[in-house]
Amino acid sequence: MERSVANEVVKHVKEKKPWTVGRVLTNEYFLYVVSFFTFLIVWHYIAAAGLLGLATPEATLKEMVRLMSVRLAGKNLFGHAWASSRRIIIGFAIGAAAGLPLGLLMGLNKYINSIVKPVFDLFKPMPPIAWISISILWFGIGEPSKIFIIVIGSFVPCVLNAYSGIRIIDPELYDVIRVLGGNRRQEIFYVSFPAALPALFAGVQISMSVAWTCVLAAELVSSRSGLGWIIIRGMKLTKPELVLGGMAAIAVVAWLFSVAASGLEKVLCPWKRGIKEL
Amino acid sequence: MGVNPERRIKIQVKNLTKRFGDLLVLNNISFDVADGEFISIVGPTGCGKTTFLNTLTKLIPATEGSILIDGKEADPRTHNLAFVFQEPTCLPWRTVRDNVAFGMEVKGFPKDKLEERLEYILNLVGLSDCANLYPNQISASMIQRVAVARAFAVEPDLLLMDEPYGQLDVKLRYYLEDELIRLWETLKATVIFVTHNIEEAVYVAERILVLSNKPTTIKAEVHVDLPRPRSLVDPKFIQIRKEVTELIRWW
Repeated sequence: MERSVANEVVKHVKEKKPWTVGRVLTNEYFLYVVSFFTFLIVWHYIAAAGLLGLATPEATLKEMVRLMSVRLAGKNLFGHAWASSRRIIIGFAIGAAAGLPLGLLMGLNKYINSIVKPVFDLFKPMPPIAWISISILWFGIGEPSKIFIIVIGSFVPCVLNAYSGIRIIDPELYDVIRVLGGNRRQEIFYVSFPAALPALFAGVQISMSVAWTCVLAAELVSSRSGLGWIIIRGMKLTKPELVLGGMAAIAVVAWLFSVAASGLEKVLCPWKRGIKEL
Repeated sequence: MGVNPERRIKIQVKNLTKRFGDLLVLNNISFDVADGEFISIVGPTGCGKTTFLNTLTKLIPATEGSILIDGKEADPRTHNLAFVFQEPTCLPWRTVRDNVAFGMEVKGFPKDKLEERLEYILNLVGLSDCANLYPNQISASMIQRVAVARAFAVEPDLLLMDEPYGQLDVKLRYYLEDELIRLWETLKATVIFVTHNIEEAVYVAERILVLSNKPTTIKAEVHVDLPRPRSLVDPKFIQIRKEVTELIRWW
């Protein structure tokens, strides 16, 4: 492509370099593996020495495999993982469905913002887990009270990110559409919403991790299912491998959720692709 | 002021005045622009060039005076105004193609006309090869070309440019100025081109309006009746450039 001085050439080039020892040692993926195995080895030796009351990684893994077939309170490991996931999906969906539109409205309309903000600011710093007693009082000890905690927990970051997503939009982008004679509706649909989309996804990611904290707390307090309950169960039976197995399962499932959200973001915000680890 | 009487008047600016509180920025500016004319506006730094443009496009309201397009009060809703900003402005979530189409979408062009004109403009500006790239994948100069293409695409009644090439290196600037002239000659738009670069103004414009220091008025106008393509070392070119420089100098 040598058509003109100002023409752009986009080419993704992978330079082929010979594999030297130095390159292998400094390879990103190699270092990931090193990091992971170092962690496992340190864990193993601490556990094997009988320190800190830990189970070894092997024992934990074995326990997890055992839980996949053995039922605990009527559910195997997948059943419990699903019980927690289900609460998160429902609670998060409600929290985001309420929080994202509210945050967008607050960003777009100063009157709505002035009305909502004082009350919202009052509740914002309150940890969602503080709602547990009220939640049980209102909804009993069944599913709704756990979901309520998650709704509260995921609502707040959704509102905050949607709001700031609108507020940080470059005013020049609005100038572009204003000189073209765009009306307010066009400004919102052509500029505000697409511009705020990445911020919405940031809110979703944060909400998701808050939701996991909330579901755990709720399950620790009152539950007969879920990964949090497995941890409590292990604690009561003094089985460290059960506790660690529950923790490892949470890590895996929460990671899958976050991967799913990132995947969705890549599909919906294609212009953000190629910016690594954003 | 001096529009060639044989040409139809497109834009009339009458007694345009802008005050910010008691700071008078634009002082009773009046001029006409012919249909399809290319005007440059030059003036000393801080003379209110950007305020002037923003008032013309109604981004900020004028204190007094009026701007008429084809005899009617200018309004971004009814007239096709287009603006190329000093800073390259592309919508980052739209590809080059969709950015060029953006103005036409906002203006509500019918779909088939939009598609047809989009391809035409993309080819004309040489953006077809990178039509599917996002703005963060192309350089700042390319983004500015996209903005220029977007502006021409809406068939503007009036195209305003605010130092669009101010931040580019010389070689690229020459190239894009030629491209701009080519687009203007092909698409027959009425252009007001603001710049602080006198050589650039003489190179592109048919007529140059020289602004004074604040409170801004039109100090002089210079007709540039040189044939195109113009040469920067043509003695006539240099003479006009010197003339404008004399008018503008504040040192």
